[in-house]
Amino acid sequence: MPLYQYLLRRVLFAIPLVLGITVVAFLIANAVPADPINANLPQSALNNERLVQAFREKWGLDQPLHVQYLTYLGNLLRGDMGVSIRTNQPVLDDIRQFLPATVELATTSILVGLLLGVTFGVVSAVWRNSPVDYLVRVVALIGVSFPVFLLALIGLTVLHAQLGWTAGPGRLGFLVSRPPHLTGLYTIDALFAGQWAALRDAAWHLVLPSLVLGLYVSGIIARITRSSLLEVLGSDYVRTARAKGQREFLVIMRHGLSNALIPVVTLLGVLYGNLLAGAVLTEAIFAWPGIGRYAYRASTSQDFPAIMGVSMLIALIYVVANFIVDLLYFFIDPRIRYA
Amino acid sequence: MTSPVPLRRARAVLTAGLALLLALGGAAAAQAERALVIGHAEITEAYDPAHAFNPTSGMINRVAYDTLVTFPDGDASEILPLLATSWSISDDGLTYTFTLREGVTFTDGSSLAAEDVAFSFMRLKNVQAQPSFLADPIASIEAIDERTVAITLTAVRPSFLAELANTAFSVTNADAVRAAGGTDAADAAETDTAQEVLNQTSVGTGPYVLESWSPQDRTVLVRNPDYWGEQPYFDRVIVVNIPEAATQRVALVAGNIDLATDLTPDQVVALEGEDDIGIYLGPGRWTHFLLMNRDPEVGGPMANPLVAQAVRLALDYDGYRDLWAGSVTPGSNMWVGLAGAYGQDKALTRDLERARALMAEAGYPDGFEVTMHYADLTWAGVSLSTNAQKIQSDLAEIGIDVRLLPGEVQVALEGYRNGTQGFGYWFWGPDKLDPVDFLEFLPGGKVSGERARWMPEMIDEATRALIARAGVETDAEERLEIFAQLQDYAQQDSAFAPFSVPAVQTAYRADIEGYVWHPQWGLDIALLSRK
Repeated sequence: MPLYQYLLRRVLFAIPLVLGITVVAFLIANAVPADPINANLPQSALNNERLVQAFREKWGLDQPLHVQYLTYLGNLLRGDMGVSIRTNQPVLDDIRQFLPATVELATTSILVGLLLGVTFGVVSAVWRNSPVDYLVRVVALIGVSFPVFLLALIGLTVLHAQLGWTAGPGRLGFLVSRPPHLTGLYTIDALFAGQWAALRDAAWHLVLPSLVLGLYVSGIIARITRSSLLEVLGSDYVRTARAKGQREFLVIMRHGLSNALIPVVTLLGVLYGNLLAGAVLTEAIFAWPGIGRYAYRASTSQDFPAIMGVSMLIALIYVVANFIVDLLYFFIDPRIRYA
Repeated sequence: MTSPVPLRRARAVLTAGLALLLALGGAAAAQAERALVIGHAEITEAYDPAHAFNPTSGMINRVAYDTLVTFPDGDASEILPLLATSWSISDDGLTYTFTLREGVTFTDGSSLAAEDVAFSFMRLKNVQAQPSFLADPIASIEAIDERTVAITLTAVRPSFLAELANTAFSVTNADAVRAAGGTDAADAAETDTAQEVLNQTSVGTGPYVLESWSPQDRTVLVRNPDYWGEQPYFDRVIVVNIPEAATQRVALVAGNIDLATDLTPDQVVALEGEDDIGIYLGPGRWTHFLLMNRDPEVGGPMANPLVAQAVRLALDYDGYRDLWAGSVTPGSNMWVGLAGAYGQDKALTRDLERARALMAEAGYPDGFEVTMHYADLTWAGVSLSTNAQKIQSDLAEIGIDVRLLPGEVQVALEGYRNGTQGFGYWFWGPDKLDPVDFLEFLPGGKVSGERARWMPEMIDEATRALIARAGVETDAEERLEIFAQLQDYAQQDSAFAPFSVPAVQTAYRADIEGYVWHPQWGLDIALLSRK
């Protein structure tokens, strides 16, 4: 199957998926037995029938559910996610404000996690059942099972406060000014503005949170890499490669790892989505003003447009991440090409 | 500032450099900017004074704007002039006339005028946002001349001056707000669009100006060079959002922040003794008290006023002070920081002999058994269970055998709120920073009636009349007298036994001076300086 056909099929699959997500997200958000009017109007306004009515009309709460949904969908197609009840800002603006911080951290974290995880996994598989393997597996287990927020707190206390090896909480030193807004990614913005001190500071502040989240990710990746590589190394074509007298390093890297990475790539899409959507606690500990905390605050105040907006965003991130993963398959695994 | 060591080094180099400059005779040399970093768990969706109503906006607007009147630095014991230099209240208690301070300018250089006050308060009322209820009692406002403004209320409201000290009543520059899309018209709830601008900048007369706000990230204040009062010490104040108390603690210890507003009391205790950390202890806003239900069906022997009096005299007040560092003994259920409140000097002291005599007089010479309800929780660092055990041993001295019944908070609250607890241990923080808040604890008040079943018909005519007067009297001197009498009365014959006001605790870098906790705005940034 040629690439364009493969791509087209993936895109066509994604459309009903996204539509389905809007329906599910809409129903769940509406099923919550809490009244956004109580959550968002002050007591004095609640007694004012005119204001309550105006609020209902403004947010479409006076319409039947299916009408509300169609209105939402119509607006969404025009790129309008509505206005957050809580912040009074367009949800899209809020997302633009909070997403870059999360993207910046998730990206560096997944890179750290991939680097550590694959290394751990290969070392562990190659020296199977040796002390190195046990050590790596214990580290991986800690990475997976240790609560991330606790690791974050210990990291801050020991590595930052006691030893001074890493930067403290926040995206920048508290006395450092933000680089002019371009992408919202401080490292990139500082780079384009030529603010080297800010660039260094922003990168420096990424180190500890990326390590903490990266360690978590690496634990999962290492385990998958190890088991996948072990399976591959026991396969016939590897035995053949060895029989040909190929150097062990090449056997592992070319025949082994490149085939063993397929499940890891699958995992990357999910893990990146997780990092973007589920870093609420880590963001809180590192005082990282990201989308996780925005989502948390939206859900605790029944900020319906914001909840929908974040749900849609996260769903979209998963869809895109998996789309990219599918693309990678196409290049990594020739079998897909000929399927 | 990535670590404390480079920070200290940088500071040392800076100081040395400055000293050198001064030594060379450059007395007018450019001063290094004085910056203050506050670690704070940001809870606000707005800084526009007509929309903002939470601790974060209170702290920021306290210094970005001024109100007509204010409180002393650390409590609400009197009403002090701020933008208003004097005021008078009409005989019917409905009209408040304020004379405005001269020589006050807004950040754009224009002069403060009565019209700005009228505009700000009517906008607050009409935008129908979170704090608007505070302006609901206002019927009309008239700018009599440039410097005189008259506010007429819909009903007599003795707490009005105290409420005017709330930052919701910040005086804004009417022209600037209008230019930003603001209006004070009746339909302001739908037509006012100034919030977006006022969330990013301030248009007031305070010691600081809001320079920028990046929600959930940081709020930056810069000194207002044209401020009418004494210039604050810091040129720039950065309030960084650190939602986790544990992270605030790390950032404070590492020197990333100068002050942490949200440490838990046990974290503060753990920091005690650290050389570079200073700790503030002052009376907090919670009064801990016992409730003795006056309905005999519910309260049993506790419904007897003589028993209630015996309980008040049996409590070991000194012991609770020893138990909780920085706590004080209240003289009544009126929060100790309010005007005319009885503090420790006028509080009851333990008198077991009299307490036992009262028990005998009430018909319980050998005491009785009673169950005490309370919530099983630690509130602002104070374990209710610890206090409950002490109450148990205190009352055992006069023969009252207390069985402790701790309950899950929501469950216990239910019984407290619907008045089914005969004997309970609870705490209260003032809803209004005005003596009228105390009326909750006297017959006719909500706590008294709904929770302790202590009703107006149970008390004498004279006291009923006194309580009624307390609700409408607006003359400051008269009020002091009335509330003194009511507190004297409550010490003798009340359904409550207040016994402890625990401390608030805050930690900051040891070189920070001037920190004072305030129940209204939390922290007055303009009072802070560096040694």
